[in-house]
Amino acid sequence: MNQWSREIWVASVLAALLALLAVFAPAFYAPMPLLSRCSEQAPALIMTVGMALLIIARQIDVSVGSQFAVCAVIAGTLTAAKAPLVIAVATAIAAGGAMGALNGLLVAGLGLPSIVVTLATMATWEQALRLFQQGRFVALPEGTQWWGLGQTMGQWTLIAAACLITAAFAVAMKHTSGGRRVYAVGSDAESALLAGIDPRKTVFRLFILMGLLAGLAAALNIVRSPQVDPKAGLGLELKVIAAVVVGGVAVSGGRGSVWGASVGLLLLATINPALTYLHVDAYWEKATQGVVILAALIADSLKRRTHAGR
Amino acid sequence: MPADSMPAEIRPTKAAARAAAMPWHELVLLAFVAAELLFFDVTGRRFLTGDNLANILRHSTELGLLALAMMPVILTGGIDLSIGSLLGLSTVLFGKMVDEGGLSPLCAGVITFLAGAAAGGLNALLIGALRLPPLIVTLGTYSLFRGLAEALTKGTEIYSRFPPYFLAFGNSRIGPLPAQGWILAAAAILFWILVHKTVLGRCWRAIGYSPEGAAHAGIAVKTRVATAYIIAGAVSALAAIVYTARVAQGRADAGAGYELAAITAVVLGGSSIFGGSGSVPGTVLGVAAIALLSNGLGRIPAAMGVSRELAGMMTGALLLAALSASALARMASERRARRT
Repeated sequence: MNQWSREIWVASVLAALLALLAVFAPAFYAPMPLLSRCSEQAPALIMTVGMALLIIARQIDVSVGSQFAVCAVIAGTLTAAKAPLVIAVATAIAAGGAMGALNGLLVAGLGLPSIVVTLATMATWEQALRLFQQGRFVALPEGTQWWGLGQTMGQWTLIAAACLITAAFAVAMKHTSGGRRVYAVGSDAESALLAGIDPRKTVFRLFILMGLLAGLAAALNIVRSPQVDPKAGLGLELKVIAAVVVGGVAVSGGRGSVWGASVGLLLLATINPALTYLHVDAYWEKATQGVVILAALIADSLKRRTHAGR
Repeated sequence: MPADSMPAEIRPTKAAARAAAMPWHELVLLAFVAAELLFFDVTGRRFLTGDNLANILRHSTELGLLALAMMPVILTGGIDLSIGSLLGLSTVLFGKMVDEGGLSPLCAGVITFLAGAAAGGLNALLIGALRLPPLIVTLGTYSLFRGLAEALTKGTEIYSRFPPYFLAFGNSRIGPLPAQGWILAAAAILFWILVHKTVLGRCWRAIGYSPEGAAHAGIAVKTRVATAYIIAGAVSALAAIVYTARVAQGRADAGAGYELAAITAVVLGGSSIFGGSGSVPGTVLGVAAIALLSNGLGRIPAAMGVSRELAGMMTGALLLAALSASALARMASERRARRT
């Protein structure tokens, strides 16, 4: 069996959907909305990469949406206080790293299940943010939007940054010892330990990396509009996890790729506008997302079963 | 078989025997609840009054039902993230049937209850028959159920035309307790019997302790696990009806975040998040701890405007603290065992 079969399968579903749109809703390809839709997905793509790594290592982080929101408000507040953009971005990334480190400490250090730990930190950060921000938007100073590059240029920069990061991690997962360590820990932590890899250290670092990427995504995201919405991260964790699962990363760990996860995100991101263009009510968005996750899971399980039967 | 004649590997350790004989976790939690009562009585306004205690019970019935529903699932070593969304879907379904369909609340209630069981059955099917991980399956149905609720209401519609006697049920007292308090009490007793006194309960515990071991002992693991998820679905639907009677609204965002509060109550109540151990009285105490916290904070003048956020934050922090404490205790006892 070709090791890329799952990725190819998801990519062909995406291709079929795009072809369908080309025939029935050519308006989907008008350059302006298409470009802004792509740049809208760029921050999610960066977080999908981190989530793919975590799930390959057999962990999960549902607090990334809250981390994203907290980091966005931090970066926005600093920018609004006339801090240089570099410092705002660096602080947001550092804050993300710190929140990731807390998750990592509890999961790797105390051996607690990542789902419960990150559910708890998700609620804690979300409520803390609500407490301090009370739902207020942060208005950004003039010239912050698109880093003052103008919309089209800014959008391309954002997309390019996300793609570069994705490509770098995709290559690193395949061709560096660090990447192989993630797979080793995810497929069998005991064997990894016997092979001289410390699974706890790897998991701890992955949670920090996830936080750093969430911070980076948030810092890049704020340039998209003239103000920061403190609720922007709501439900983002679900979208990112869905993308990773749909993209063929096994939740049992050790299998999958960054490429697959990013194609999964593209597929999910295409389904929603596709529904609108094909005249399906937008209210079905969340339900569709749930169905896609479950369908991907069922497909994987059936495939596993036929292989085991042989 | 007396403990002394067992082979050393399976003889219960002294610590385990003591833990079994004395439920110290429940005692600690009871002390915590008592401390909360004392603290809020001193700092808050009109906290320890009959009216307010009835009010707390009224507002925590839904959470209590969800926590009771979650407890057997966690006992089997699983988790159900979809019950908060299912509460939302069920209120919408119930509201649509009564408000638009003109059904009587009783008839609509029975249908909603069965629909909840069916929704739990979907989780059960995917987890039991297809052997998919509960975490990711229920994350998928979490999105699916909430999405269906949004689709049914087109995101904005709120159902609010209910017969007066139904709404009276949500806001009246029967004897000393609010009406829904009796439902919670009955559910708690039923779950206590189910978990602690029946074969089914022992099977759940055995499965959570070791699924392979349970299968070798002849337990039908798939069907026993499936039962836990189906019960969870049905009880969430029941919680939805109680919720609708209290707030007089069927809306798509009802019960958002309740799954976390339910998990927190169960874990605070001493259930192991890895399955295999836990008690229903502990879960009830866990619910009480959370309910007192959110009501009590609202009664402190300094925290009045932000009590909901503060309570949410502290619930998360409390869960982390409870988990860390139990993990540290486990690590310490392992270290002690290694030394001897």
